[in-house]
Amino acid sequence: MAKKLFEIVSRVMNIPTTEISESSGSGSIPEWDSLNMYVLLNEIEKEFNVKFSLQETLEIKNVGDFKKKLEKYGVNQDE
Amino acid sequence: MSDEEKLFTYLNKSKLSSNIDYEKKIQIAILGGFTLYGLEETIRVKCDEKKIQCVTYVSGYNQYNQEIFDEKSQLYKFSPDITFLIIDSRNVLGELFLNPYSVSVEERKRFVQNKSDEIINLAKTLVKKSKSKLILSNLSIPSYSPIGINETKEEFGLHDMIRSLNQNIKIGLRLEPEIYIYDLNSFVTKFGENNVFNYKQFFYGDVRISLDFLPYLADELMEYVKAVLGLNKKCIVLDLDNTLWGGIVGEDGLEGIKLGDDPIGRAYVEFQHNLLALNQRGIILAINSKNNFDDAMQIIKEHPNMVLKEDNFVCIRINWDDKVTNMKEISDELNIGFDSMVFFDDDPVNREYVKFNLPDIQTVEISDPSNSSKILKSMNDFQVLKITDEDTTRNKMYLEQRKRTELKTQVGNLQDFLKQLNISVKIKNADEFTIPRISQLILKTNQFNLTTRRYQEEEIRKFSQNKDKIVECAQVQDKFGDNGITCAYIINKDNKQQWTVDTFLLSCRIIGREVENGILCQIIEKARKEGVSKVRGEYIKTKKNKPAENFFPSFGFKKEENFWIFDTKNHFKKPEHLVML
Repeated sequence: MAKKLFEIVSRVMNIPTTEISESSGSGSIPEWDSLNMYVLLNEIEKEFNVKFSLQETLEIKNVGDFKKKLEKYGVNQDE
Repeated sequence: MSDEEKLFTYLNKSKLSSNIDYEKKIQIAILGGFTLYGLEETIRVKCDEKKIQCVTYVSGYNQYNQEIFDEKSQLYKFSPDITFLIIDSRNVLGELFLNPYSVSVEERKRFVQNKSDEIINLAKTLVKKSKSKLILSNLSIPSYSPIGINETKEEFGLHDMIRSLNQNIKIGLRLEPEIYIYDLNSFVTKFGENNVFNYKQFFYGDVRISLDFLPYLADELMEYVKAVLGLNKKCIVLDLDNTLWGGIVGEDGLEGIKLGDDPIGRAYVEFQHNLLALNQRGIILAINSKNNFDDAMQIIKEHPNMVLKEDNFVCIRINWDDKVTNMKEISDELNIGFDSMVFFDDDPVNREYVKFNLPDIQTVEISDPSNSSKILKSMNDFQVLKITDEDTTRNKMYLEQRKRTELKTQVGNLQDFLKQLNISVKIKNADEFTIPRISQLILKTNQFNLTTRRYQEEEIRKFSQNKDKIVECAQVQDKFGDNGITCAYIINKDNKQQWTVDTFLLSCRIIGREVENGILCQIIEKARKEGVSKVRGEYIKTKKNKPAENFFPSFGFKKEENFWIFDTKNHFKKPEHLVML
């Protein structure tokens, strides 16, 4: 589970959480272009109070990548 | 500063934004020297919220030079009304932005001169090749300098370079009527360089105004959109207790209310100063307060720290009527639409009541007095493209109007009242002095406006040089004072037999004095003299121009299809109470 993460993706990309999975990303979500991805990153950084490095930012391709990076920072992604 | 929505909210809304056919329409082009992702979407949503139908064009990344110099470019095909050109110091200085001291002082000076000329030329080219207004950003001055504390010791250092670029561009374009400089440097100062510029976003996608602040930038750019469309607010309506001063007159009295000399009182004094400054540049003030009239007027007249005086208020409603009734009376008396009014009140019930009944009035919450000035200064609704003489003397004119209304109530009979006013009407050509005001009237007048054709100043200037058009205006005076230029019209000389009234409008402050009839007589006499047999005009109905509906028929024009037609051989009666000059 990563309820809060999914909610943020849903809010930013404007799609229901039920349509989001860990593999959701640039291939599966039409809105997920490079800059919208950055808008999402910006929101996630603020909501979870973390800062990804530029390298990490470039590595993120889908929701699962966000989840892994957040786990690395020990963030509780459910609330 | 009001808090902005997040960028993604705008992005999502922009996908939904309707193509509703609003009355106000605008074409906006955005040219950028860097990624302005999200700006276009946000502007579209903001236009939609203001009931403006907006079509946009965003030029390719950093393509502005080609777009502007190539007459066949997409930009010119799009034919914008407004073009925003947003550039920054990195665009203009290039390598020198990072390493300004790699070249000599003389080279830096030469560089700045050349770049200034280049930008000025670019801007002038755009407005020459299009009918667009250009809003060109200036450059933000970085706080950093590679030579640190010695920056202020250096002759023509990095900061001086950018400062003088800004100054050169301002001076070079100041008198261009279609070009405005957007002060991007102040924007960055207001929100802070460390917030607005984010290195990670910059390296990631050449974002130079961070995504968090793009909505704020869009909001500032909207000031120009609203000003071009004449959507500015004209009147601030104020509550008194806990809005203009602290405390309640009825309970605290003249000695007890807070105004000056203590922290709370100082906040109210500052707020009044800010209101006065707006009043002096043409925003009119009115009072709508539940109070005993005499008690409240005593404060306004006698309190030593009142900054605003009785004469700063053109309409005063202090009584126990409900605020909506008062608001309607204020609107009637001043001849100002609800959508041109802003209402400041500390009481949420009053605000909600007004908002519910008169949704077009913008209501503003005033609660903590220390925020009042900030809120007022952050409102971007008072912008006009040009401040004219009419603006600065508007308050005086409305005061004279108050006296006219008083006379009207005394006299009772309309014809006697008009005779006693001693009205004179002076017809003036469109020239250097009158064109700014004619343009302002054409952009702003909603009520007595037969065709509501909105022409920009540059178009009017071109019309005035066209032999086949008459562009004139009229200055109306009476015994109480000068109403200023309050009528404007454009006549097309279609051919030797026929003239068409393209535009005819009256400022609301002189409606009801038959001035329009006097002017129309002049036009018809002129046509007659030139052997023209037919003068025709249209009435194009809008939501607001009902006052002009009967102008042509009541004068004796006959309807034929879409036009009202007057045969110049016919007799017409000149209003006897007018002196035409």
